[in-house]
Amino acid sequence: MASLALTFGSGAMTNSIADTEKTDLFLMIGSNPDTSHPTIGLRVHQAVDRGAKLVVVDPRKTKLAERADLWLRIKPGTDVALLNGLMSIIIEEDLWAKKFVEERTEDFTDLVKLAKKYTPEKVAEITGLPVDQLFQAARMYAAEGRHAIFHGMGITHYVTGTDRVKSIANLAMLCGKVGVEGGGCNPLRGQNNVQGACDMGALFNTLPGYGGLENDELFDRYEKVWKIRLPRRPGKPATEVWENVLKGEIRGVYVFGEDPAVADPNIAHVHKALEKLDFLVVQDLFLTDTAKAADVVLPAACFAEKDGTFTNTERRVQRIRKAVNPPGDAKPDWEIFRDLSKKMGYDMNYNSAEDVFEEIRSLLPQYAGITYERLEKVGLQWPVPTIDHPGTAVLHTEKFTRGKGLFIPEDYIPPVELPNDEYPMAFTTGRDLARYNFSSMTGKTPEIDVISPECFAEVNPIDAKRLGITEKCWVRLTSKRGSVEMRATITDRSQEGTIFSTYNHLEALVNFLTLDALDRLSRSPEYKLCAIKVEVLDEKAA
Amino acid sequence: MNITINGMNIIAQSGITILEAATRSQIYIPTLCHVAGKTADAPCGLCVVEIEGREGLVRACTTQLAEGMAVVTDSSTIKKHRIERLSCLAETHFGDCKAPCNLTCPGQINVQGYIAHVSKGEYEEALRLVMERNPFPFSVGRVCPRFCETRCRRILVDEPVSINHLKRFVADWCMTHKIDLNISCEPATGKRVAIIGGGPSGLTGAYYLSRRGHDVTVFESEAKLGGMLRYGLPEYKIPKDVLDYEISAILRMGISVRLNQKWGKNFTLQDLKNQGFDAIMISIGVPIDQPLEIPGATLPNVIPATKLLKNLSSGKPGKYGNRAAVIGGNNVAMETARSLIRSGVDEVTIIYPRAKTEMPATQRNIREAEKDGVRFLLVSSPVQIMKNDSGCLDMDLVRMKLGEPDERDVRHPEAIPGSNTILQVDTVVYSQGLMACADKFEGGELERTLEITPKNNIKSNPRTSLTNHPGIYAAGDVTSGPRSVIQSVVAARRAVENIHAQIMDVAKEAGESRFNFSRGRSFDDVDTKIFKGVKTKLREKMPERAPEISTQDFDEIRLGFSEKMAKTEADRCLSCGCSAYDRCDLKELSIDYGIDPNKIGLRKVPIYEKDKSHPTIIVDLNKCIFCQRCVNSCEYDALELSATSFDQKGRPEGLKLVFKDNCVNCGNCVDHCSTGTLNKRDAIVPVINEEMREVRSTCPYCGAGCQLILKVKGDTLMEVTSDPNLAPNYGALCVKGRYGHKFVQHKDRLTKPLIRKGGQLVETSWDEALNEIAKRFFDIKSMYGADAISGFSCARATNEENFLMQKFMRTAIGTNNIDHCARL
Repeated sequence: MASLALTFGSGAMTNSIADTEKTDLFLMIGSNPDTSHPTIGLRVHQAVDRGAKLVVVDPRKTKLAERADLWLRIKPGTDVALLNGLMSIIIEEDLWAKKFVEERTEDFTDLVKLAKKYTPEKVAEITGLPVDQLFQAARMYAAEGRHAIFHGMGITHYVTGTDRVKSIANLAMLCGKVGVEGGGCNPLRGQNNVQGACDMGALFNTLPGYGGLENDELFDRYEKVWKIRLPRRPGKPATEVWENVLKGEIRGVYVFGEDPAVADPNIAHVHKALEKLDFLVVQDLFLTDTAKAADVVLPAACFAEKDGTFTNTERRVQRIRKAVNPPGDAKPDWEIFRDLSKKMGYDMNYNSAEDVFEEIRSLLPQYAGITYERLEKVGLQWPVPTIDHPGTAVLHTEKFTRGKGLFIPEDYIPPVELPNDEYPMAFTTGRDLARYNFSSMTGKTPEIDVISPECFAEVNPIDAKRLGITEKCWVRLTSKRGSVEMRATITDRSQEGTIFSTYNHLEALVNFLTLDALDRLSRSPEYKLCAIKVEVLDEKAA
Repeated sequence: MNITINGMNIIAQSGITILEAATRSQIYIPTLCHVAGKTADAPCGLCVVEIEGREGLVRACTTQLAEGMAVVTDSSTIKKHRIERLSCLAETHFGDCKAPCNLTCPGQINVQGYIAHVSKGEYEEALRLVMERNPFPFSVGRVCPRFCETRCRRILVDEPVSINHLKRFVADWCMTHKIDLNISCEPATGKRVAIIGGGPSGLTGAYYLSRRGHDVTVFESEAKLGGMLRYGLPEYKIPKDVLDYEISAILRMGISVRLNQKWGKNFTLQDLKNQGFDAIMISIGVPIDQPLEIPGATLPNVIPATKLLKNLSSGKPGKYGNRAAVIGGNNVAMETARSLIRSGVDEVTIIYPRAKTEMPATQRNIREAEKDGVRFLLVSSPVQIMKNDSGCLDMDLVRMKLGEPDERDVRHPEAIPGSNTILQVDTVVYSQGLMACADKFEGGELERTLEITPKNNIKSNPRTSLTNHPGIYAAGDVTSGPRSVIQSVVAARRAVENIHAQIMDVAKEAGESRFNFSRGRSFDDVDTKIFKGVKTKLREKMPERAPEISTQDFDEIRLGFSEKMAKTEADRCLSCGCSAYDRCDLKELSIDYGIDPNKIGLRKVPIYEKDKSHPTIIVDLNKCIFCQRCVNSCEYDALELSATSFDQKGRPEGLKLVFKDNCVNCGNCVDHCSTGTLNKRDAIVPVINEEMREVRSTCPYCGAGCQLILKVKGDTLMEVTSDPNLAPNYGALCVKGRYGHKFVQHKDRLTKPLIRKGGQLVETSWDEALNEIAKRFFDIKSMYGADAISGFSCARATNEENFLMQKFMRTAIGTNNIDHCARL
């Protein structure tokens, strides 16, 4: 979300889920909400049913791709080239929103300069798309109407993830599609409270509410409220922790509700680091693989056993409420932090989650007008600056949060690891509808095992024929970093040269394959693309 | 647009239907088929209303409003039409609302429900379900006559489910695992109730009155609570430590107890009134033995059964010689005989004037006595008892025969003259029945004027539980004579409802409707086709100590099911009752409109086989009324419901329900089903008595933030639904949001802090765990600086927790090394 913060001044979904009712055209790029955000996917389908246009950019033949007015089956990892190419056509054909660009944006000339380099022919070559599809897409998006871009992890899980998001923002501003109902740039947040965790400043480079570490005034304010000197040195992002552990820079790690031993890219590397750590604390619901390596494990209450708030992808702050008691001695996480902080000599005086929330809203302007009482009936979308403010369904309607929208043109950089002689296939991953992350939660529901008993390597029929892969046969997928075994299924959902698998099954941890190269701004890993080779396992007959 | 509904002026939006306008004005019009603005192809016809100035009835779901329209939603014509429609639909509805076991249980315990909990491994919740209706699961689970098992339909396949053993299992399991059920009480009412007698009925009264928020004091004449459970039932049936545990769990509700307080001697009813109790409940049971009225009855070594049992229970030693006779054929007589055997008496004989099958004792108790080696001298009766020269007792017995029928056609036994024999014994115990008082109650004026029945029990009004004195209630054996424990429990629970209504001056809650669709009320009515596919599997055998060993002591004979046995047994349950009991609109409307399923004549045979092929939904088309809500509510257009033809009354035949390939398992159709046709595979616990709590929450999975309704019973998350009126998902859920919550109460959850000792993670206290963390973090900070510590926060946890995690890292630790998996 770092990029939208740079271009718009606020790194969040600009519009609302309910806006889909008003959208005239959807540009879905790197997002398959049917499986990742099913109830949002449903709204998109319903909008298309009622006549909204649909343009899908996806190497995979998803359900939405199948019914799209235009499906751009792009080569994985070439989105920035495509986006720049579309802008080039839009500028060339004079389809851009002149009034919007003039009044509400800056640095447009930089964009023009960059776009010139991306001729349709060049982009067609990079992306593998026919030129006429590029023209078609550009004209459709730039036309009059409420046009929304939706993107997901298919965009951000690349080293160039932030470049893509910036390019998406550039396109939306160029066509004046921001700040209107039914339009905007809509990143779909993967997890229930990613938005909230960012808002709360659980980030190495910002305080709560996105105040940067260089903002001395803000620091002064926090120090006054928290009555303690705060560190102003930059911190380390999660994705750099393991490397620093191996270097001996980091000695102790406190893992709260995560399982890097299975979730992080290149997990073999993580396992090595876990062994080297002096001290590891894990706070979780289950004895995860990471917890098994811990020195102390703290049992936490789950969402149904405590009070609190989540902030969803459309910035809506919503309540969770205690419904049942936690098992045994398990406690809500906020109580654990309070008690541990006291042991470490820093008193936190909260008697309820609501007490904590009151402090949050006293510090974060976006949350200032939100109270538990107001959330009793329905959630509120930040910013909610005052207690009588109704919440904000659409961002940037009058002006951008940062004032003017900033064009930040980015050049196309090819994916880090392209298929080569040794590892000739591209490998990408996605979420299984019935499952969530590594199934530590969904795996406990037997019906879900019935619906989704295993994951498959989805292989294009042409590749299957070439590689001698038969339906449901076992294959071994190997990257430079490791290998996994699973069964294959032959389907044209996968593009030729690309193998897809869901990542939710613990029996086949695809993150043994994935790449831990990081985006240079957000430090996101390149989960979505790496090079692999495929072997058919005869001995493990289906 | 101005209209009136039932005379009420309403300003409504134009272009909407009467049904929509009524719903928005919170005026209820019944419908079985309307959903999401759509109506069935063959509409249910229940939403009919009258419009002033128009002939006949119109359907509210399809009739558009018109200016000045005057609508009537309820009249005798409308009602008649609705009754006709409901009867018509009900005729083809084939299913059981409640299971026969549930209907047969005097306590109306949700038997099928707790068995389902057992099969899911939710033992704690199973016990909680039992405790909704019965606070004595340990005792009843050991001594219940098991009315339920006699009606278990599994008999028609092989053997009934061992229901009672399962009840005992869950109680014992929770005791072994030290589970505190944390049963909550309603807020204190400030009302005080005195209960005389601390046996099963008295303590049941105390338990449910406390749950209602009343301040209860139990007055017990003995040194310990328990009544007949302690002093009448020997330890081989109910071990004292189990009973103590059971009673302590009841007392945890905050009940005051006064021991060694004998009514009439230590206090009177008037005393209690003077002490300001708002109500008094008498539940002393039946402490008095019917006297033995033959010569020699007062000789030493001729003792009443209750005295013998009480002596044994209190550990008082007694000498009973080598031979003993027990006069009587009731349950107390059986326990007396078996106790004598365990006290070292070689030969114990039960003497009874009729045949064995006519004994009032349960056949199970009789069989057990026989197994223990008790002898039966039947159709014999003692004439007199004499002390002989050797110091033993000679019983003069006479043979009996059945006499001529009396005016009520009952044949009483008569002595056969000259058939006398002598039985020589050392001890005679008589158990001729029990009663509340010998003649009348002692104490004060209120006691003396307390009305009693011809059988010397207290007379109480069966509807109000009141005695002839206002504010004084009586319940249990004291009014009925000796009954089973569960019957005492039920009587007391009913009395609690009466007392509560009286002292709070509120109307008594309506008893649960007896309305019940049934696939066969008696075994003869049941079509065995409904058992198709059920494999024969005999019941689990209760492990027990062999008689030759168990008669050597008073230790418990039956050892209880193992967890594996309990689960296997629970899986035998045929789940007769409807799992949609709490949400079936057809049933609710049938009750509202007074439909009598027995009169309208229900279908007797199944037509469709249950379809279990869908991963999350089980379909029973025998219950389908073709309302098509499943189809009309599906946002994915993922199911097809069709009928090949319609009968004369317009009801569908040849139903077929197909889930198409695009079904995403979201479960929305189940929530909208107007009957129990669609069922969530996992929702096997019917919700019958106490309702589920609904807690609103937010889905813990993806970033969409769907709003959930968590349906909770006791301390268990039963199912998840969603409110169709709430942003952002407006009722839509995915398969995870609907079903993916089993992790919450999964057995693998961490329950205690763990700390690494000697290479192993071992359980520890919070204090030790947090001290260790604080110490180690301090050490790292002092050696390498705060930046040598790094924290991962959690994008799944709440805002409050993420806020505190980063605050902790920035303040208590002093580093900005805090991040979360937003980009993972």
